[in-house]
Amino acid sequence: MPQPHPQNSGPSPKHRLFSPGATSAFRLGIILALLLTGGGAGAVFAFYHSPWWTREGFAPNQPVLFSHRHHAGELRIDCRFCHTGVESSAFAGLPSTETCLTCHSQIFTDTAMLRPVVRSAETGLPLRWKPVTNLPGYVYFNHSIHIAKGVGCTTCHGDIGTMALTAKGERLDMRWCLDCHRDPGTHLSPREDLYAASWRPTANARSRPAALMRAYEIHSAHLTDCVTCHR
Amino acid sequence: MNLRPPTPEFAEGASTWPGDLDRREFLRMMAASAALAGATGCARPARGLAPFVAQPAGPLPGTKVYFATAMLQEGFGRGILVESHEGRPTKIEGNPEHSESLGATDAITQAAILGLYDPDRSVAPLRGAELAAWTDFEEAWIARAALLSPRSGSGLALLTEPTTSPTLLRGIGRLLEKFPEAIWCQHTPLARYDLDGSQEDLAPGAASVIFSIGSDFLCSHPAALRYAREFTASRRQPAGAPSTPRLYALESSWSLTGSMADERLARSPERIRRLLDALSELFASGVLSGAGRSNPAAAQNGLELAETQFVEALARELTGSGTRALVVAGPEQPDEIRRWARAMNGRLGADGHTLRYVAPVRSDRAKGCRGDLGTFLDALASGKITDAVILGTNPGYTAGARQRAELARGLSSAAFSLHVGAYADESAALCQWHLPESHFLECWSDALGYDGSALIQQPLIEPMHLTRSAAEIIGFLATAEARPSLEWVRETWSARMPAHDFDDRWRGWLNRGVIDPFPASEPVSRRPADSLSKLAGHAPETDASDSNSFTLLFRADPHLADGRWANNGWLQELPQPFTSLVWDQALLISPEDASRIGLSDGSVVVVEVESRSLRIPVWSVPGHAGGCAVLFLGGGRSRAGSVGTGRGADAYYLRTPAAAWESARATVRPTGEIKELTSTQHHFRMEGRSPVRVVYGDAGIRANPSTDSPARAASLYPEWPGSRPAWGMSIDLASCLGCSACVIACQAENNTPVVGPEQVARGREMHWIRIDRYFEEISGRTVALSQPVPCMHCENAPCELVCPVGATVHSQEGLNEMVYNRCVGTRYCSNNCPYKVRRFNFFDFRTPSGSPLHLQENPDVTVRARGVMEKCSYCVQRIEEVRIVAEREKRPIGRGEIRTACQQACPAEAIVFGDISDPQSLVSQRKRMPGDYALLGELNTRPRTTYLPKVFRPAHVLTLAASPV
Repeated sequence: MPQPHPQNSGPSPKHRLFSPGATSAFRLGIILALLLTGGGAGAVFAFYHSPWWTREGFAPNQPVLFSHRHHAGELRIDCRFCHTGVESSAFAGLPSTETCLTCHSQIFTDTAMLRPVVRSAETGLPLRWKPVTNLPGYVYFNHSIHIAKGVGCTTCHGDIGTMALTAKGERLDMRWCLDCHRDPGTHLSPREDLYAASWRPTANARSRPAALMRAYEIHSAHLTDCVTCHR
Repeated sequence: MNLRPPTPEFAEGASTWPGDLDRREFLRMMAASAALAGATGCARPARGLAPFVAQPAGPLPGTKVYFATAMLQEGFGRGILVESHEGRPTKIEGNPEHSESLGATDAITQAAILGLYDPDRSVAPLRGAELAAWTDFEEAWIARAALLSPRSGSGLALLTEPTTSPTLLRGIGRLLEKFPEAIWCQHTPLARYDLDGSQEDLAPGAASVIFSIGSDFLCSHPAALRYAREFTASRRQPAGAPSTPRLYALESSWSLTGSMADERLARSPERIRRLLDALSELFASGVLSGAGRSNPAAAQNGLELAETQFVEALARELTGSGTRALVVAGPEQPDEIRRWARAMNGRLGADGHTLRYVAPVRSDRAKGCRGDLGTFLDALASGKITDAVILGTNPGYTAGARQRAELARGLSSAAFSLHVGAYADESAALCQWHLPESHFLECWSDALGYDGSALIQQPLIEPMHLTRSAAEIIGFLATAEARPSLEWVRETWSARMPAHDFDDRWRGWLNRGVIDPFPASEPVSRRPADSLSKLAGHAPETDASDSNSFTLLFRADPHLADGRWANNGWLQELPQPFTSLVWDQALLISPEDASRIGLSDGSVVVVEVESRSLRIPVWSVPGHAGGCAVLFLGGGRSRAGSVGTGRGADAYYLRTPAAAWESARATVRPTGEIKELTSTQHHFRMEGRSPVRVVYGDAGIRANPSTDSPARAASLYPEWPGSRPAWGMSIDLASCLGCSACVIACQAENNTPVVGPEQVARGREMHWIRIDRYFEEISGRTVALSQPVPCMHCENAPCELVCPVGATVHSQEGLNEMVYNRCVGTRYCSNNCPYKVRRFNFFDFRTPSGSPLHLQENPDVTVRARGVMEKCSYCVQRIEEVRIVAEREKRPIGRGEIRTACQQACPAEAIVFGDISDPQSLVSQRKRMPGDYALLGELNTRPRTTYLPKVFRPAHVLTLAASPV
């Protein structure tokens, strides 16, 4: 019968399967793997909620270099002059070429910037704008009810009055929507500020959410039902 | 159409395993699939926003708008409202302003919208099989007209469908003016509603007893929507009200009207004549004047006990009701029976009370019309016809076997032949020219309703293809000028109703869809004879010695009509009444006859009439008369389109003009083959569980206490908190006709796909509301019961408890919500649903991209993808739409303002939806009525949809006789 080694019950160094540092390396490996997994998940999460993914602040190039800052901010043209459906339709509406020409048949008619508009009027082919805010197809958003209930333009579209090139103003993901649907009061604008072109969550409005909720007759019970937005 | 086997979503072979797949390869593929699965959502859809160049005045993008127009069925007009989203029509509703619609629709009207987008529609003129331009045809016709004009049109024959359209008839008149020697004939394979120069218009709501002889006046009649509304409204009156009509039906096979009858006898056509004769004798003998007991004379007449009782009770009630009695014979009945019914009405004094005779509204006997298809074919055969025009009708299919051959021969010898129709169908194949006709939503026209009310048909959309309307084409034939149909229609009406403010009135008509004021049909003064002629002996008896000898009855298909709707996937997949068959047709016989000959459901038989034979599977229906068999028209088409071609059997092949509806001496011989017929229901008995509760007899209505509604069973789950509003539904089975209008209305509203016969055979049909049908024996009589079953929106919903991902949850207002983008397709909810109303997308049933059928889709409802569960949502898109408008206008939602699609379509007002927290709402009132019950209420699911029981009010004397002593 072979005798056990007098000093060490393990195999001799010559026959050892793992080097002395193996355990440490293994532990380190586990920690690294966990960190990597967690970090990866965190990175995915961060990316998913980052402006790169939500496209917050994303301003695509448009066929016409139209500036909301100039028209809405400086000239103070009412939002509804161009977005005619906002009070009565699900879709706020985009101005027709003729709407642009209301003014631009008189001013800046032959500038390069305006050429696509003139060409559209001449050819009868519509301008093709790039959408800034894209909601998924299963979201049934209705502009008219939000306006009627005191959600101003800038609440969702951001500080439109300062945008030279229109950019996505808010995240517009489901969590962002639900933040407001769960607690609408603090997001409402007083009626006179509904169409204000610049972002101002005024201290005034924030201080009286209950009063605004009453004024707009908001019954929030069903606002978090799935079918309010998904049908 | 959108029928196809589930489209190959992946490349061919992608889902088959390679033969040498080992474990490692399998794991590698699984890992790759898992890794790539998330990548499918990476690409953002590239979209552009294109505003108008010049925005038209009118509704804004994102809002829907309704237009009032008209639809013709069997030539009669019905007012409809058509929903349009950004210029595309998506759904048809009834026009409440029109007396023949009253806001309701039938299944065919609901399905007609699909025909507009049918990819199989004829898109351009055809010369032979070659596409041609309209100018080619115009040149060809002008050349022909130059030959015809000198001989006053001699040699020209025109075949049309009988119609009520004043403009179309004016166009035909113009053609006959230009070519006075031309021959105009009219052909319809379906029923004629006029008889002896008048048509009868009923007032079933005014009757206290109605006797229907093989008539389906509540469901398949040009005025059925009005009749059904009147009849069911008077039936819903509280018990004991003076005019709750009792309905007697004597028929050979089930009609939906027959299933509503309090007393029904199913007898063969010969036997029906005997019974009517017995009724005549009872009237003649005058024994009915006294309150006498059973008449021994009748008993000796060779009648069975049940027949004697039926006849006597009926005779007594008819005499007792006098002017409030009504006898209706179906238009498919032989003329002598229809005259008998008229005579009986005359005797009872019912004329002017429960019915009136008016001048025929349809052009069957119009001035200038030379006859029917037979006349047309005789003219063709005589060889004198050089130019044949077939407009809007399809005799190449709807004529009998011999006539088809004659037509083909005659047309091939004509120098010029033209077919006008929406499809390049069987008749188009026989003609040199085919011109595509516009859909009724694409062109101007007009129509008259059965009651003579006038309608304007206005287009909602420019013709999608190179089509023209029938009025435009006939106008061109007459004048050689291509004028738009609007001009023709305006000209008709400005001549008919001249006024200095015609334009204003015209706009008013377009707005309402109805021309008003318009003189209603004049009553005809000539009263029909009221002598009850003897009926037996008129019909040839079947050969009693041959056990395979049947009387064959031809009937219009309940959904395909004469076959013109054969290419409509919605109607093909709509379960037929009494059989729940889809995508096919069967010969209906009684179970006794079936077992006698040794047939089971699906056994293929050969039906032989005068040496012509047809192979068709049989289906036995309890309550069907023995000795006769029903064959539906409309199947077996050879050129219907990708959906309808080859579905069902071609009954026209056995039909002759002489025996259009009833053919004695048909033989039915088994072949031994079995065909798998697809029915959505596999069992038609209630087996004592009473999903449909029946109140039988007047006394029972009050005496039947609602057993489970007030006292609720205890539950471990907390009570659902009361909310305002709280949505609920009540379905009145006593009013429900079982007509399936709700099913198609739901399909059109909710983007429900068509899945095809193979998928239905696997139980994968997608209808959100279905009609369950049961046959029961009550007091020795067979009754048929219909029960619409949508999602019950249970307060204790079993489906919600088992969903692992929270894809089906409850809303504050009591809706059982289905969230498609959460659903992962476990189907646990469907397994746990006791009502089996949840539907699963086993495949990608969506319309293939690029198909025009996409244009029909309702933009307010998600089009569901593969692997997603779906079910009735109580039309939540309508709830939210009304809520948004109401809140915008700062007012509460009006009572009855929200109507679900099924409710809106229902002619019988059987379905009522609303706020059950409002005690004054109609749904609350219905739910308070005695007998209100929950389907499978013993499961304590607390459904928000409840039912009112089916009510039969049998004649007292019969109840006594039939009840066991």
